[in-house]
Amino acid sequence: MEKYKISDSQLVSLYKNGNEEAFEQLLTRHKSRVFTTIYLIVKDNYVAEDLLQETFVKVVKTIKEGRYNEEGKFLPWLMRIAHNMAIDHFRRDKRYPTIVMEDGSHVFNTLQFSEDSIESKQVRQDTHSKLRELIQELPESQKEVLMMRHYMEMSFQEIAETTGVSINTALGRMRYALINLRKKMKQYNIAYDQNIYPR
Amino acid sequence: MIKTFTQDDVVRYVYQETSELETKEIRKALLCDAKLEEMYKQILSMKADLDKARKNPSDHAIDNILNYSKSFNVSSSR
Repeated sequence: MEKYKISDSQLVSLYKNGNEEAFEQLLTRHKSRVFTTIYLIVKDNYVAEDLLQETFVKVVKTIKEGRYNEEGKFLPWLMRIAHNMAIDHFRRDKRYPTIVMEDGSHVFNTLQFSEDSIESKQVRQDTHSKLRELIQELPESQKEVLMMRHYMEMSFQEIAETTGVSINTALGRMRYALINLRKKMKQYNIAYDQNIYPR
Repeated sequence: MIKTFTQDDVVRYVYQETSELETKEIRKALLCDAKLEEMYKQILSMKADLDKARKNPSDHAIDNILNYSKSFNVSSSR
């Protein structure tokens, strides 16, 4: 696990006392974790950025108005807000679906690239974005546990309680998710290599 | 005697959820069980890939958040 010089709690305390740099550090520290979690739920870059901003607006308001009472548990609190915002949006959006491309952009934003060759598109699609795509393809129960454990840093015990399953079930789902991803990435890398270096 | 561990135990170990005693035992088991070790390596490497697959928001979104925080005034918000 990453070791921080100043803990989240200390940064929150500093921020409560008006230190904006402390907030900047908290934001820098957790932005990719929060953004990735939201993105994996809403599957849209632009929506994910909006929800990231809404998440941190809530964080700012709660702390500055003196309503923050999660001492020592900043990250789980932050991730809970982000997760709830993303889920709420996902449920709303299901009723009014928009067309989103594989890389998470809106269909209209890709029109400008329509002249690109298939090859250049393949080159742009790097391994990491492929992995994010593969996460989306996992069965919902596996994706949920993977997201909660890996990106939201919830323990297997907490995941079991939140999702209403036993720890063993949560662990099994995580194991399947990791193994499935590993297999699919292996297949993808072989296919990718064969495209680049055809026999 | 070396205790037997399941693949789920290895998942807990990789995610640092094993007790001190279990951690020691699993380390020993990994040295003796090639299949378990192979599985451990696969999960560890997938975990590293998942870290690398994190996405970053744009600088614009981050600036918006920072500016919001700087301009947020408790008295005016009530």
